[in-house]
Amino acid sequence: MTEYIKLIDLTKCTGCRGCQVACKNWNGLPAEKTQFIGSLQNPADLSYDTWCLIRFDEIENGSGLKWVMRHDACMHCDWPACVKACPSPGALVKTETGAVVHDPNFCIGCKACTVACPFDIPRYSAVNENISKCTLCYDRITDGRKPACVTSCPTGCLTFGPKAEMQVRARARAAEISGVVYPNNPKYQTNVLYIMPAEIRAAQLQHMNPNPKMPTTVLWWKNLFKPFTLIGMGAVAGAAMLHYMVRGPHEPEKKEGGE
Amino acid sequence: MSGKKEGMVYVTTLQERIVHWLLAGSCLFALLTGLGLMFHSWDFIAALLGGHYAMKWMHIFSGVVFAFSLAGASVMWWEHCKFVPEDAEWVKKAGGYLWDAHDLPPGGMYNAGQKMFFWTVFIFGIIIVISGLIMFNPLIFPVTLARWAYMLHAASVMVIAAFFIIHLYLGTFGNPGTVQIMFHGWATREYCEFHKGKWLAEREKKGGEESQAA
Amino acid sequence: MTNHWNDIQHADAILIMGSNAAENHPISFKWVNEARAKRGAKLLNVDPRFTRTSAVADHYARIRSGTDIAFLGGMINYAIRNNRINWDYIRDYSDAAYLVNPDFRGAADLDGVFSGLKGSTYDKSTWSYQTDENGVPKRDETMQDPNSVFQLLKKHYARYTPEKVCELTGTDPKDFETVCDVFTATYLPEKSGTIMYAMGTTQHTYGSQNVRAFSVLQILLGNIGVAGGGINALRGESNVQGSTDHGALYHILPGYLKYPKASEQSLAVYNTNNTPKSNDPMSINWWGNTPKYMASLLKAWWRDADLETGYSYLPKIDDTTNYSYLPIFNEMARGNIKGMFAWGMNPAVGAPSARLIRRALAKLEWLVAIDLWETETSAFWQKEAGVDPSTINTEVFLLPAAASMEKEGSVANSSRLAQWRYKAVNPPGRAEDDLAILTMLVNKTKELYAKEGGAFPDPILNLSWNYGKLGLDGKIHHPSPREVAKEINGFFLVDKEVDGKLYKAGDMVPGFPALQDDGSTCSGNWLYCNSISDTENRMMRRDTSDPTGLGFYHNWAWCWPMNRRIIYNRASVDKKGQPFAKDKPVIWWSPLKKAWLGDVPDGGGGPGAKHPFIMVPHGRAQLFSASMTDGPFPEHYEPLESQVRNTISAAQVSPVIMRWDKKVQEEVCDPMLVEGCNAAVFGCEEAPEFPIVCTTYRVVEHWQTGQMTRWLPWLTELVPNQFVEMSEEFAKEKGIRNGELVRVTSIRNREGIIANAYVTKRFKPFTINGETVHQVGMTWHFGYKGLVTGANANDLSPFVGDANTMIPEYKAFLVNVEKVRR
Repeated sequence: MTEYIKLIDLTKCTGCRGCQVACKNWNGLPAEKTQFIGSLQNPADLSYDTWCLIRFDEIENGSGLKWVMRHDACMHCDWPACVKACPSPGALVKTETGAVVHDPNFCIGCKACTVACPFDIPRYSAVNENISKCTLCYDRITDGRKPACVTSCPTGCLTFGPKAEMQVRARARAAEISGVVYPNNPKYQTNVLYIMPAEIRAAQLQHMNPNPKMPTTVLWWKNLFKPFTLIGMGAVAGAAMLHYMVRGPHEPEKKEGGE
Repeated sequence: MSGKKEGMVYVTTLQERIVHWLLAGSCLFALLTGLGLMFHSWDFIAALLGGHYAMKWMHIFSGVVFAFSLAGASVMWWEHCKFVPEDAEWVKKAGGYLWDAHDLPPGGMYNAGQKMFFWTVFIFGIIIVISGLIMFNPLIFPVTLARWAYMLHAASVMVIAAFFIIHLYLGTFGNPGTVQIMFHGWATREYCEFHKGKWLAEREKKGGEESQAA
Repeated sequence: MTNHWNDIQHADAILIMGSNAAENHPISFKWVNEARAKRGAKLLNVDPRFTRTSAVADHYARIRSGTDIAFLGGMINYAIRNNRINWDYIRDYSDAAYLVNPDFRGAADLDGVFSGLKGSTYDKSTWSYQTDENGVPKRDETMQDPNSVFQLLKKHYARYTPEKVCELTGTDPKDFETVCDVFTATYLPEKSGTIMYAMGTTQHTYGSQNVRAFSVLQILLGNIGVAGGGINALRGESNVQGSTDHGALYHILPGYLKYPKASEQSLAVYNTNNTPKSNDPMSINWWGNTPKYMASLLKAWWRDADLETGYSYLPKIDDTTNYSYLPIFNEMARGNIKGMFAWGMNPAVGAPSARLIRRALAKLEWLVAIDLWETETSAFWQKEAGVDPSTINTEVFLLPAAASMEKEGSVANSSRLAQWRYKAVNPPGRAEDDLAILTMLVNKTKELYAKEGGAFPDPILNLSWNYGKLGLDGKIHHPSPREVAKEINGFFLVDKEVDGKLYKAGDMVPGFPALQDDGSTCSGNWLYCNSISDTENRMMRRDTSDPTGLGFYHNWAWCWPMNRRIIYNRASVDKKGQPFAKDKPVIWWSPLKKAWLGDVPDGGGGPGAKHPFIMVPHGRAQLFSASMTDGPFPEHYEPLESQVRNTISAAQVSPVIMRWDKKVQEEVCDPMLVEGCNAAVFGCEEAPEFPIVCTTYRVVEHWQTGQMTRWLPWLTELVPNQFVEMSEEFAKEKGIRNGELVRVTSIRNREGIIANAYVTKRFKPFTINGETVHQVGMTWHFGYKGLVTGANANDLSPFVGDANTMIPEYKAFLVNVEKVRR
């Protein structure tokens, strides 16, 4: 199966929010009851029922006013922290397509992924006692179609294709506009890439991790403490056995017993 | 309740024994379910317990039992587990476990090793309980704190699990006659003299072996 | 659009002005981005607000609402001063070299008005070309004659200096310079620039002149008829192009034929009055065919009546009465209208001074609303509308209609492209499609006329309505839009030989050149003649082949006229038939094949044989136009309501707009009207009470009055509340925090409306003539029905329209904004 990448060219987003609605449409997500929040952004944040959100940021700096609209959804990490943190087999899976898919049937609602995710993507529902998030439309892409958001995008901001091809395209486009590809951490790659214009930095945008990586706490937890729990128990058990064999039980010597 | 038995000393009260087993049982159960959650390859545990979802709640409830028993245990054993100068001597000689040491100072209710186990369980137990509480609803805490909670929970498990095995060994094979104390409360006088000389002397001075532990 | 959507990809510069295309025409950005990627096109955006379009533009220039002509006049002046003119183009293809009547005086001479102003109308006798003995306009090929159109134009716009322009528009001079420089650089024959506009351009008292200003600029730059050029009106709803094509306006019949007047009592008189003539042998003068189109239309409607009888069936309009939107409601308010059909129309929210409109609705005896949901119009009598239902006597009927996917038919988009759509699902419940509802009405009306007679039953009784099989009762119950489409295309009524080919009665007319003026053909709309052949409905075609690679897609659906994708395309080639832009030709002459290749060419004849602008009488693009009511050249006026004094001339507002607010109108207006609903602030003098410019607009998430979108959860989630956008500076001055409630008032609505403040960096105060001018903006999507409700911005807007089209001035009026104190 081909591995895919969704490419988001921030220079081309017009904030039409077609992707946001298409996502709800395809995934059958209900509308939320919202209120005007002093920005066009609505709902205010991603949620159990909102997997894809256009975020609006007004940035004023030396080069004038920028109004950045950003398609925010799961980044589908190559090495997903959510999957790493997930205790329930099958609840969160990194598939061969690159999509990180959740299955509510297996999710036990522990919320570990919501904390582990470096992008704050998975959202928990207390009512359903499970999490949900963007699946990269796994059900579409395995059927040879593009994700609903990409299909709906009128401006060419969202594109989708095989990984190698899209990586080349991303680098070329970034070079063309003297921008950068996000994330640009070779140690933490994702199946969703952004083209960031030169004058915009991730740190200036809401809900965009300027330095995305596997959280250190997750690494220590999963790569150190987890194996060493077993190793430690085994080692100690072994030591105890050895002790018994060498030293025997610890008890008073019989001849001194009558003292 | 305890009555009197020839050549035996009544070491632990019923309350102590109940708390001990609640603590041990909940710890073991939480450990098993926790391992079941941490290691996908150990999903037989989940299978035995009715799936991961059920296991999640079992883990949480055993954690609650653990938290209360830990609190009870702390109250009960706090005084006994304060370190005394003789403990240094005991530690220097490794309690006689690793090489023969005939001149160990007479032990109190608990020796330095047991005290160390108590404090380990106490400190890491508190970390486990607090981090567990955070993990119960991490969404209301700052994400950094929540992430530390997951890490510290695991780290503490690592420590407690290792000590748990040591405790298991020393309480059974390692020290014959010990485990019975936690079942019926009695130990042989010989056992007590060997392990708890100082405690026995003090107790007898106070008022006979029949009297219940303070 | 003179061009079409995917032609935007060929542009070298794109000017979006008076449009928020990114938001309201999202798909256009596919082609805008294509042009930027492939041709390095620069996107320019001129707008009072920093919109989602501005966010992706290469250069953004701010202007105060309503100063488009000042800005464009400045651009025209810039082009002339910097010699950025496509000289060959304007000499050969425009009227630049024509000589104008020496008695004509322009705004430069008459301080803002043109010769012939009498009261509030122009006597346009001096707005004419000098003609020679043959009646052909006289020319000065050098364009140096002071009476030449070019010299008059130059003189007119010489007053629009950059300083003067920026003083009025509030634009940063550097931004103005950039826009001028980038866009006028397309004067080179091989370059082209497109203008995309929408309601921000038209919804002014001089909206038509705003569009005229685009035309003047584009003609000077040689950008009409070429690929990547043109003046492109982005239509605001999916089939509004179709609705105007098919005559859903009071002053036109289908195909833009002029509507008969009371003074034109016979077809012969009508034809004489409405058929333009040109004595220039090189002018095709397409409207010279008017009698053929009118005859075919009459035959489509009254198949069995002879032409004169058919013509007599057409109601005539009074020569001087304006029957447009605003006068209708004015008359309704005065109690002169009994009943109304609001068919997919929601004036209770969408019309200006909507409070007045709702009061006018209460004067009706009956109101039929036909819509998908209960609209504010159909609910104008309910408590939510703020009225006591017991005081309203209007009988209201709400007929449930079918949505676009619940019915079949053609939809014409901005590209003039008519695409056939099929029914996907049946309408819910007892909802019916429009054609079925209309057919029921026709059946019933015919029945009543047959039974009861009446003053003049013939037009109804003899009306041809053959759109389906007859039922047992002799009536049509399931009308077919395919039958309507056939009638629109037209067919032969008798056997007829045309250009050597014999057509049998019933054969489809192959194209409008074959339409006849003798009643032997019928065609419901000559423009759509050619949309259906004997073998296929071309609107149903879905062939994505593009043999020229230029994006014409001639076999994808069908566009009028004659499937021509870029109109006036003869202006894209030189006199030898070779394209100005070799890399993006529209048509080109093949000497070998002795034929035009590429797009469908405009008009007949070989290269250089005919003038390219076939729809104007003399065949040349009109820099100077006598067809406008308010001046042959666009001249800057202030909006009716403006606190700024016009410093270009002494004429503050357009002198010829229809005014209901003037004291002189009091005697003809209903007293209710004079109470204040239609009041207006007069210029700077009365401004202090309402010192803030307000503009209204749409957001991408809602559609028009919200009658369709405020019922959809996924869309109401995105924009749940009415808001008022304002600058941080203004909010600070008024102590308003972002998101909190504010009250907006106008002279027509002193109680005001309440909405959420949207404090944004994207609005900035203007400095006009040295003074600070604040501007705010609101959507007009909200009303009192739907899943979400909110204040209606049109409860504030003025009751005044454009001098030519009567489109209301929604885009610039005066308000006050105050924090709501609790």
